[in-house]
Amino acid sequence: MLENYAILPCNGLDKSAGVISGEIAKRLCESAENQTICPVFYRVSEKKYNRIAGEHPVLVIDGCQTRCATKLAAEKNLKISKKITITEEAKTHNVELSSNLRLLENDNALIEKILTALNQSEDKLPIIPAEPSVTYDFEYETYQHGKFIFRVPKNPEVYYNENDCWAYVIGNHARIGVTDFVQQNLSDILYFTPPEIGDEIDQFGEIGEIESSKSVFELISPFSGKVIAINSPLEQKPELLNENPYELGWVAEIELTDIEGDKELLIGFDQYLKIMKKKVEDLNG
Amino acid sequence: MSETTFMGVERNRIDWKPTIDYTKCDFCMECTTFCPHKVFEVRECEEMKLIVRNPDNCVVFCRACSKLCGPDALSFPDKNATTQRIKEIRKEESNA
Repeated sequence: MLENYAILPCNGLDKSAGVISGEIAKRLCESAENQTICPVFYRVSEKKYNRIAGEHPVLVIDGCQTRCATKLAAEKNLKISKKITITEEAKTHNVELSSNLRLLENDNALIEKILTALNQSEDKLPIIPAEPSVTYDFEYETYQHGKFIFRVPKNPEVYYNENDCWAYVIGNHARIGVTDFVQQNLSDILYFTPPEIGDEIDQFGEIGEIESSKSVFELISPFSGKVIAINSPLEQKPELLNENPYELGWVAEIELTDIEGDKELLIGFDQYLKIMKKKVEDLNG
Repeated sequence: MSETTFMGVERNRIDWKPTIDYTKCDFCMECTTFCPHKVFEVRECEEMKLIVRNPDNCVVFCRACSKLCGPDALSFPDKNATTQRIKEIRKEESNA
């Protein structure tokens, strides 16, 4: 059961997704020892809620992709332990949200499903990271543009796509992550959504998401394959992606299904460095 | 000849751009504020106040704007179909 959390809903009053976020927060507080952070009051008086958020893991409930609650959490430097978005949950559970601001049958059904999933997620056993079977030794080239420093691994085993994700291939396994370009552009990363172990990923399919106050970045897998490991420490410490996106901040490992076919659409260090430099110059002048 | 390429294919040969669902869009313009590639354009005086002005500026496989769209009004082509099309174009070009 979800217990001892500080719950920050967007609580938007003019959209059903916002109303649902508030309702879920209420029910979580009625059923267990959780505490709600009122986003409106938090804007004008932060002392009480900073204390609550400092003492408890924080669950953020966004109504929609405008992510008002996430942005507020970022503004207040809160560490997000768990996060859901009502419109995304509605898609997952195949429920159509009503446009009515009063809760209808559909909305209540969705609320029940979300509460069940949240409570069950707390009962799951933690994933114990597998001992790495191989060592990934990176050698870097460094590129500086103004105050920004970008490291790019130059090992021949590292492949890139043009969406700024890397894959270090050993045998028929690859470790996957994002490059310094991504983490510098997103700035402080607040939240990491991993793929599931066992997920079958297509080449250029989504292999997790990372989120900052500025944006949401979909990780685009350079290779196709099956997810066999995730870097679970990132779930509690997404800042590792900023600190070191290649070693401590790797995202997932996959068992490759079409190494040679996939390589045809990937690039090596030399080409990626050129592309990245151009992107940096285009974005920063 | 397109000025830019993606995976060695001229960008204007790859159909990857957002489509705006005007029945959902509330013209909040968050997407124009967010996208650094100037894919969207605001047209204040027209009925459709937002259009996709520069589709070829859109980064292939990037769907960040749709993930930030509150009313969920932006959609993208199927990724697998796009990957297949890129492979076909590369094959056509290598055989040409």
